[in-house]
Amino acid sequence: MSSIALVGNPNTGKTSLFNTLTSSYEYVGNWAGVTVEKKVGSLKNGAGKLIDLPGIYSLHPLSRDEGVAAQYLIEESPEALINIVDASQLERNLLLTLQLLEYGKPTVLGLNMIDVANARGIQVNAEELQARLGIPVFPLIARTGKGTGQVLSVLEKTEAIPAVSFRLDYGALVEENITAITNKLKQVSGLPSHRWVALQLMEQNPVVLDLLKKRTDVSELMALCDACQSSLQKQKLALTLPQWIRSIRMDYIRSVCAAAIDTTRQKPHNLTERLDSILTHRFLGLPLFIVFMYAMFKTTFDWVGGPLSDLVDGFIAGPLSDGANSLLQMIGASDFTHALIVDGIIGGVGGVLVFVPQIFILFLMISFLEDSGYMARVCLLMDSTMERMGLNGKAFIPFIIGFGCNVPAIMAARSIEQPKDRMLTTLLMPLMSCSARLPVYLLFAAVFFPAQQATAVLAMYVMGVVFALLLCKLFSKHLFKNESSIFIIELPPYRMPQLKTLGRSTWEKGKGFLRKAGTIILAGSVIIWLMSYAGPGGLNVDMDHSFLAKFGGFIAPLLHPLGFGTWQAGSTLVPGFLAKEVVVSTMNIIYHAPDTAGLEGQIAAVFTPLSSISFMAFILLYIPCLATVGVIKKETASWKWTFFSMGYSLVLAYAVSLIIFQGGRLLGWS
Amino acid sequence: MASASCSLLRLEPGSTGSIHKIAGMNPILRRRLADLGVSEGVTIRLKGKGPLLGPITLECNGQLFAIRRKEASMIEVKV
Repeated sequence: MSSIALVGNPNTGKTSLFNTLTSSYEYVGNWAGVTVEKKVGSLKNGAGKLIDLPGIYSLHPLSRDEGVAAQYLIEESPEALINIVDASQLERNLLLTLQLLEYGKPTVLGLNMIDVANARGIQVNAEELQARLGIPVFPLIARTGKGTGQVLSVLEKTEAIPAVSFRLDYGALVEENITAITNKLKQVSGLPSHRWVALQLMEQNPVVLDLLKKRTDVSELMALCDACQSSLQKQKLALTLPQWIRSIRMDYIRSVCAAAIDTTRQKPHNLTERLDSILTHRFLGLPLFIVFMYAMFKTTFDWVGGPLSDLVDGFIAGPLSDGANSLLQMIGASDFTHALIVDGIIGGVGGVLVFVPQIFILFLMISFLEDSGYMARVCLLMDSTMERMGLNGKAFIPFIIGFGCNVPAIMAARSIEQPKDRMLTTLLMPLMSCSARLPVYLLFAAVFFPAQQATAVLAMYVMGVVFALLLCKLFSKHLFKNESSIFIIELPPYRMPQLKTLGRSTWEKGKGFLRKAGTIILAGSVIIWLMSYAGPGGLNVDMDHSFLAKFGGFIAPLLHPLGFGTWQAGSTLVPGFLAKEVVVSTMNIIYHAPDTAGLEGQIAAVFTPLSSISFMAFILLYIPCLATVGVIKKETASWKWTFFSMGYSLVLAYAVSLIIFQGGRLLGWS
Repeated sequence: MASASCSLLRLEPGSTGSIHKIAGMNPILRRRLADLGVSEGVTIRLKGKGPLLGPITLECNGQLFAIRRKEASMIEVKV
């Protein structure tokens, strides 16, 4: 089995090509065209594996995404490369192509979006390009699959792809040093092309430098680079070595483009131009965005999602429970099995499955905004507001995704270039009310604020955002002093998303929730049910004497000042850490509620309006769920920051709930 | 007529200039701009200014992108 890497600039259609070339499909954390993690698929003709790397402009990484790609090329050795380029943006795309050619592996060039280029009056001469670069060039339309068949058949025999003979002359002075460095590199084993490593080192690629540091003493190599740079400066050729290398490459690219591209009939991008004049308008842009957001939330929770959720609830509480009841009676199941299945599993998991329609609708709309190109404009619109809070417009999208689920949201933060902005986004993400917290709000709002349900729920979302903004200001001032934030975003042309791609990415984002329902939530429900079913006195005990009551009673005194010092409330919090969805399913089990109405009655008897607000605030803030903690650890690669995010949220939750409850009581509310 | 150079921000929306000098910019941003092909001598178009003193939209080599005004002011253009 051979492995082939797919490399290219962002927004060049890599993911489309990946999808058409491979049969199996793995997750892409995709927003505004950025593939977040390298993913592997098997080629349709069975010739090997295709690795999709994140979109990069050059091998010199700025963001974590780009680091992944550079590291892959250095540490692993693909048999061949497919370099995909956007035919309408060839000049910029070829910079990466040259670096890949120097890498020295057999390479094919996928000249994508020739239809877009042609429509804009840009003619690219593929033969000329092939002759100049010395590698096979295939014109493609990856979105429709045109031309991908040829690429696939070439990949069938990677050893038949001609070796790359490309070699750019960097001038006598630099070439001398390249030779000296490659001679030194010969002692180091397991490196890709020595000339490529030498050039990357001269460009000060940090990933290459780190790798070399692990294997050899780099001081001599660095001395060679420094000497080379000072002679360049002495001869007044360039200020720095990387600049010199870049300018040689740019000169070459310009000569290639002049020969291979005809832009005499180039036309402007009309649709994008017209849409942008409205959507990024300095006065209209923001109000329009707010209207879109409002419509998005209305669709998710009211117009479409709500009725669908009611249907699912009706099915689970009605036909499914009844069916299970009669089936269990028919086969004569024991009381234990019966209670386990109906109260534990259907009650627990069912209470969460109700939210599946809403989650999928939210993700579908987010995918639509991503694929259409509007998301990038949203970052632009929000940047000035975010900047005032010490963040960056690019952080806005992860926060929106965070309303669906914090886990993909934290992963989406990877495309933010600066470590500080990425860290702040990651740390504050748990304050976004993810869809798992929504059931709690909906339940309590229905009981205590029936007249203003939507307002009550919205208030919780707003509270999370307000705390995120306040803490953002605080953290960026005190934890990340002296780190400025930068903002640059590429705006891809608007396009109509394809249904197939939309369906796929919605499913990819949403299936995590279903998987959670089938694993953590199922297990949690069963464990909680067992703890409520059993007690020190044996099985099938009165709930008040169960293990769950004992355990809840243990933490209840701590929660007493917050207004919900009952064992029932206390015992929802620990499973809620596993997954916030479990809070409601735990309540379903604890209150032995067969359906939503029953549960609402029980809640009304135990909570007061004031304590319900305090409880909702606590659920909103108290601790990121286990999956989120896991991804925070993975993304920050630091236990310190992981514990910090858990710690600050616990402290914040306790303080806020305390203020709400005690303050409310002082004001005479109940 | 000798063409004078001025800050990119002074361009009228929709008009173009050729980049004369980029100075004092954050190195990360400078590199990213270079990746996009934004460097001395290249023609750049100011497309529009965002709301609330937000970033400005630029077009260079057929690529649309946006940067903040503070940084854009470090790009000098000749009209």
